Amino acid sequence: MGKRNAIVVSSSDDDDDKNLSLGSNLSHSKPKSRASSVPRASSRRSKKTRLSDSYAISSRESNGFDEIKLFCEDFDDGFSGFKISTGSARSNRKDLWVDKYKPRSLEELAVHKKKVEEVKLWFEEKLRKQKEEFCNNVLLITGQAGVGKSATVHVIASHLGATVCEWETPIPTIWQEHLHNSNSGMHYTSKLDEFENFVERIRKYGLIPSSFNGGSQTSNILLIDDLPLANGKVAYERLNRCLHLLVQSALIPTVILITECGKDDSSDHSPRNWEELQLSLQRAGACKVAFNPITVNSIKKTLSRLCREEHCNVDTEQVDLIARASGGDIRHAITSLQYFCVKPHLRRSLTFSSGTPTYLKERSDEINRLDDGFSLPLGRDETLSLFHALGKFLHNKRETESSISLDHNAFLLKERFARLPLKMDAPEKVLCKSHGQARPVADFLHENVLDFLSEEAMDDAWVVTSYLSDADFLLASLSGMRSRNYEAENIVQSSAASVSVRGVLFGNFHPSPSRWHAIRRPRLWQVEQSLRHNKLNMVSQRCVAYDGLSLSDLSVVATEFKPVLKWLGFRKSEGREAQLASTKDNMLNDDSFDGTSLDNKVNETTDDEIEDW
Amino acid sequence: MLWVDKYRPKTLDKVLVHEDVAQNLKKLVAEQDCPHLLFYGPPGSGKKTLIMALLRQMFGPGAEKVKVENKTWKVDAGSRTIDLELTTLASTYHVELNPSDAGFQDRYIVQEIIKEMAKNRPIDTKGKKGFKVLVLNEVDKLSTEAQHSLRRTMEKYSSSCRLILCCNSSSKVTEAVRSRCLNVRINAPTEEQIVKVLEFVGKKEGLQVPTGFAARIAEKSNRSLRRAILAFETCRVQQYPFTSNQAIPPMDWEEYVSEIASDIMKEQSPKRLFQVRGKLYELLTNCIPPEIVLKRLLFELLKKLDAELKHEVCHWAAYYEHRMRLGQKAIFHIEAFVAKFMSIYKGFLIATFG
Repeated sequence: MGKRNAIVVSSSDDDDDKNLSLGSNLSHSKPKSRASSVPRASSRRSKKTRLSDSYAISSRESNGFDEIKLFCEDFDDGFSGFKISTGSARSNRKDLWVDKYKPRSLEELAVHKKKVEEVKLWFEEKLRKQKEEFCNNVLLITGQAGVGKSATVHVIASHLGATVCEWETPIPTIWQEHLHNSNSGMHYTSKLDEFENFVERIRKYGLIPSSFNGGSQTSNILLIDDLPLANGKVAYERLNRCLHLLVQSALIPTVILITECGKDDSSDHSPRNWEELQLSLQRAGACKVAFNPITVNSIKKTLSRLCREEHCNVDTEQVDLIARASGGDIRHAITSLQYFCVKPHLRRSLTFSSGTPTYLKERSDEINRLDDGFSLPLGRDETLSLFHALGKFLHNKRETESSISLDHNAFLLKERFARLPLKMDAPEKVLCKSHGQARPVADFLHENVLDFLSEEAMDDAWVVTSYLSDADFLLASLSGMRSRNYEAENIVQSSAASVSVRGVLFGNFHPSPSRWHAIRRPRLWQVEQSLRHNKLNMVSQRCVAYDGLSLSDLSVVATEFKPVLKWLGFRKSEGREAQLASTKDNMLNDDSFDGTSLDNKVNETTDDEIEDW
Repeated sequence: MLWVDKYRPKTLDKVLVHEDVAQNLKKLVAEQDCPHLLFYGPPGSGKKTLIMALLRQMFGPGAEKVKVENKTWKVDAGSRTIDLELTTLASTYHVELNPSDAGFQDRYIVQEIIKEMAKNRPIDTKGKKGFKVLVLNEVDKLSTEAQHSLRRTMEKYSSSCRLILCCNSSSKVTEAVRSRCLNVRINAPTEEQIVKVLEFVGKKEGLQVPTGFAARIAEKSNRSLRRAILAFETCRVQQYPFTSNQAIPPMDWEEYVSEIASDIMKEQSPKRLFQVRGKLYELLTNCIPPEIVLKRLLFELLKKLDAELKHEVCHWAAYYEHRMRLGQKAIFHIEAFVAKFMSIYKGFLIATFG
């Protein structure tokens, strides 16, 4: 509470306003005031989120406005899930540079000019026509984390003199709290419910406080930064429906921010859900602006500005490295810079790491620049999709000439064992980044590697297959053990993966000229499935032989009885001549049938086909 | 009914091939002290026939009234219970099953079934023969653990049940199990014996068998009596009256393997290797055991190969066969062998013809 009071004193210069706002469940402040992270800290006690007053001194004092009765019977436990902030003011107490150097003007934004302009135009138009126009009041901004989506909205709003009202996601209820609450008789509502209620209210009544604004010269913008977590299909449908309604009937300009996580980051399908959500909202009439990752150059510009203002001398090369390592995430870049400046010894290590391998610098392709991030103590871990990693292994890109050949300490290999340096990280690292597991990686490589060998290279094919066979042996070596030793299993797994990948890279000495290849799903999986199925069938046929008096071995059934029975069966039903052909045809037909069905499967599964990387 | 089944000797007296073994078994049963038995020998040599005849000798025709059951066994394995489904074939006197069907859980099967059999021990009217017989097939495919537990249960319940084990190679049965059994080796019948049996079948069917024809079938059969009789029957369906130079139809999968072999000989390239893989998959899907595929493939390749290369090729086949047993996915290893062969053969062709 104390903290909140402090903010009230520091930021709100209109005490009368406060009284007014008490009754409403919304509050607002003038564009210069800043109500940044305080409500979060204070709403710890609030299990329920209301449209409530972030400045509420005590909600019990509330003087009867009608709105209270409308939607806050239990207002007392609800501090705001809704905060208002406009513009940005710098507070000296802020130590984080990210907050300290929040962009205040359009010029300071690192986001691409065109995108900013686009958003700005949309706002101007909406704010102008607010009264007449009814529909299409929703703007959808998408982009990775840290590309400045919220910052852009805030800056533009303050530029246009509009107030940003932000839906703030309620704090999740932890289990102890939940127990406590239910003991004290409070009712639990899910966060999604709360969001739905909120949207419902917004649709019906718009933003209430605008009526208190005294003539409302300032226009309001609703910002929904954090969509509630929708887990599972039902919840997702609800969220979708509710946002749909919002898009169709929002009264005031509303901005919905959707953070796209990289598709490779998570294995679940939630990113796909977000994409669907975007599409459906767009269909409903929402306008969409997609923010790209911030370019290295503009991150560099911002970082050097910060350095100037903070008076720390970081040389341009290091700024450059940080900017590259951030992967277009400016928030991350700034934090890295701050961390880097705080710890002087890091600077040394940074220069050291960037300076060591001289040949690294000579390689100028994009991959390497990204990879340098790994030597940085403050880099971000990149993730790759499994298909990307497989593509790297299969295409086997190498330098055209060896640059370390001059090194005298280099271990001299016989010519047939020597390979040019790889144009990628150590394969293990790549595997690690793509979260590849040994078995599927080996299966995928086995399925696809032959396509990537040159037509003449039979010896290479043998080397590759023999390494794959080694990998399979390693993978099997622990499967029969009675007690599982996870540590050993781990080591065996990773060494098997390493053997298979390195085997493929080493063995493919004469790669076929690079062209477009689709990566197929291992047919082996399908084969194994049908094998299991056939085996089960065969078990039931086991009593066919021996006149039902004894069971026979499966292999005998498969290799001797089945062919003969098939043969005899055909013979009896069909003519003599057609027979010979038909058994063969049958086999061939099976073949071709399997082939086509497989092709279909492949088409389905290799949506993320790989082009030449 | 197939001829193999129709002319299978039902009693130990009627056996045509392993008469000496049959007589010994008969004596053994007559003395009423039947030890555990381990029958081993190559496929098609008559192990099963002897076992069935032996059971009949022991228990009379009642042993032939069997019913097939798909039984689920609930096994208590320490912390959890495992459900195992297994096909068994049982009469009042004996139970037959393939424990290796249970995969890596085979040891539970062995313990559990023997325990259960020991519990409901049949009592004869005379109070004699208070034991049941358990026939276990494919013992060589059991895991080492299962064989250990088999050993233990064998000792524990030896008063109430007798085991008849059946396998192809005794080398994969642990020493401990082998020493607790009377080992009966069943040789593959000689070609003359096979000819004799074929002629017997021919006479019973009232067929004219030209001279030399039976010998040809016997030669092709790889000394497997079952193969021989099956081939004889297919020939009968294919063409009758027989001619002595009549073609003996091969098994379809063997034909397919020889097709693969000629594919390999025709072209050696990664692309061809890929096509071969597709064909190998086809074989494997039809439950042809990978070891047999590899063996047959080697056989077909050797037929067409220059003598100079045979040694090396055999070496690699053995190497990858071993790998295959240790490994998980057979195709990886078969394919490695094919690739190695292609690479050797291509080198040879280049060296010879430039």
